[in-house]
Amino acid sequence: MSIFSVKNLECIRRDKVLFQGLDFMLEDGDLLQIDGINGSGKSTLLQLCVGLIRATTGTIFWNAENIIDCRYQFQSNISYIGHADGIKADLTVQENITLMHSLSGSPAAVDYPSILKLIGVAGTEKVFVKRLSAGQRRRIGLARLFMTPAKLWLLDEPFNTLDKYGKTIIEQLIVQHCATGGMVIFAAHQLLEMADYTLQHIHLGHH
Amino acid sequence: MNMPRWMHQFASLKYFYTLSRWLPRWLALACLVCFISGLYGGLILAPADYQQGDSFRIIYIHVPSAWLSLFIYMIMATAGGIGLIWRIKIAEIIARSSAPIGASFTFLALVTGAIWGKPMWGTWWVWDARLTSELILLFLYLGYIALQSAFEDRRVAAQAGAILALVGVVNIPIIHYSVEWWNTLHQGPTLTKFDKPSIHLSMLIPLLLMLLGFKTFYLATLLIRVRSEILEYECNSAWVRELIKGINNDVK
Amino acid sequence: MRAYLNIFFVIVRRDLLLAFRNKAEWTNPLLFFIIVIMLFPLAFGSDPTLLKQLTASIIWVAALLSTCLSLETIFRTDFEDGSIEQFILSRYPLLLTVNAKILAHWISAGIPLILIALVTGFVLSLSNQTMFALCTTLLLGTPILSLIGAITAALTIGLRGGMLLSLLILPLYIPVLIFSMLAIQNATVGQSITAEIYFLAGILVLALTLAPIATSVALRIRLS
Repeated sequence: MSIFSVKNLECIRRDKVLFQGLDFMLEDGDLLQIDGINGSGKSTLLQLCVGLIRATTGTIFWNAENIIDCRYQFQSNISYIGHADGIKADLTVQENITLMHSLSGSPAAVDYPSILKLIGVAGTEKVFVKRLSAGQRRRIGLARLFMTPAKLWLLDEPFNTLDKYGKTIIEQLIVQHCATGGMVIFAAHQLLEMADYTLQHIHLGHH
Repeated sequence: MNMPRWMHQFASLKYFYTLSRWLPRWLALACLVCFISGLYGGLILAPADYQQGDSFRIIYIHVPSAWLSLFIYMIMATAGGIGLIWRIKIAEIIARSSAPIGASFTFLALVTGAIWGKPMWGTWWVWDARLTSELILLFLYLGYIALQSAFEDRRVAAQAGAILALVGVVNIPIIHYSVEWWNTLHQGPTLTKFDKPSIHLSMLIPLLLMLLGFKTFYLATLLIRVRSEILEYECNSAWVRELIKGINNDVK
Repeated sequence: MRAYLNIFFVIVRRDLLLAFRNKAEWTNPLLFFIIVIMLFPLAFGSDPTLLKQLTASIIWVAALLSTCLSLETIFRTDFEDGSIEQFILSRYPLLLTVNAKILAHWISAGIPLILIALVTGFVLSLSNQTMFALCTTLLLGTPILSLIGAITAALTIGLRGGMLLSLLILPLYIPVLIFSMLAIQNATVGQSITAEIYFLAGILVLALTLAPIATSVALRIRLS
């Protein structure tokens, strides 16, 4: 059982208050969507949650411990995918996936063909990432989620640039992860109906 | 990392702003007294040097500014480091506000060194170890200022600057030593200019007064800069709005 | 421990592979290095005795300038494509990644520089002692350039223009330049260079200890 909680979070960026007094908590199996218009602080909130930026006030806890005090323990339990895909254009798809796999620290061996098939880019192992389309790159970036042993996923606009098919795969993946006891926080500017799974919401942009 | 309670209170910008209200004026007054007495003692009372004549009198400007140029860099790095570790805003502000003042003193030290050098060496600039170190220090300051102005976000700028200042502080002794070594090997031991093994008391006292005057000048200008920067930092907070409202009412 | 070493070499290999794939980015600073060396004789005239005295100094100044250029690329693409984010948030310490990246930079930028410098020295028929001093100072000095440079490169990633990087970095390079030049001059007149070499080694140890830490902190700050 793990608990991720946020207490009294406030964020001020460029002299503008984005949000104040934000509290929420996630337990095993919880799925949380952050929505709000552009510039409402969705990405900032996610970056705060993973510890990339520090809050002006407020604390973030992983199992009742401040994430700043247990940085690497926390980080081995999360998988974050931001706006950028975090893949190298000058490496092939296979090289990229090997790299992601090593960094994820997962002990299990990686089965490229089946992962590539699952995300709908089968047969691209030897192709340079720079030759792929934006949607395909996004899928490769999201391929991390198939390899990571992490419990908590934090995804910033995971459905951006994905087509309908890609969106369905990722949605299924997220729901499956939660159903097996994982936790997911994702940001998306429009509300999504996740097939038969209870979805919590945080709406940013009112104050 | 936790910090003691009193540090917390002192770190509050509002507390600092109210506390430091009268300080710049008192410091400016002290500075004026030191300057007048120091300059009178140095330029009029002190006897001319038996070797250098009256031109030695530039040390009353040169030595304090050279001394402060290094001192301010140390302050900048220390305050920057404190800001980096404990995320104290006031330390960040002090570090940022010190940079232009320090750069000005370094520049002043260079200019006075060159002016002094003209009658002594017959040329404005020689690659003397101290002057060269001072020139490098000026570049360190200018680099810091350039880095500050490259960022939009003040806090990121302050933290990035703190790292640069700390790297600079580690480097300064190495730079100083290497330049000195380079200089002795190249030019042979030149006579050391401002080291006087036995400086006469009538020359020393004005020099100390000038040092004190320069230091109070630094503190006064620093506080003025820090106070205005605090207002900019906190422009959204209630107490600054109150303050501005109060000032506007007074004007009416 | 094994896992850490493994990750370290994975990242070194990744960076070397990327440097190898992106040949222009890797070779341009080296080309610049050669061109700068060539400019000096054109500026000073082709008096052989004068040039013989200056060659080692010219090589060192050119090395500093070309390192400024190659350092710009050390974190840039990783910053743009989000890889730095992944490094920071991975379960492995950022210090490990930073060390690996600096080592990769030295292998891809420093070592070719040393080789070219040696060829240049050979072609311009420097004396054996001078060649030895040049070689030793470059071997000890170029890692320092990569290490200190990484800090400023991390501070300036994402800021437009490489000018700022050079501005910040060149003053910090002065001690390395001075000690190397002193060693080479001593060697040319047949004196011992031990003292200067010890100083360079001392700076290298200091840089090895502190620079990766400063670079990691700088990267975290830049990402926030």
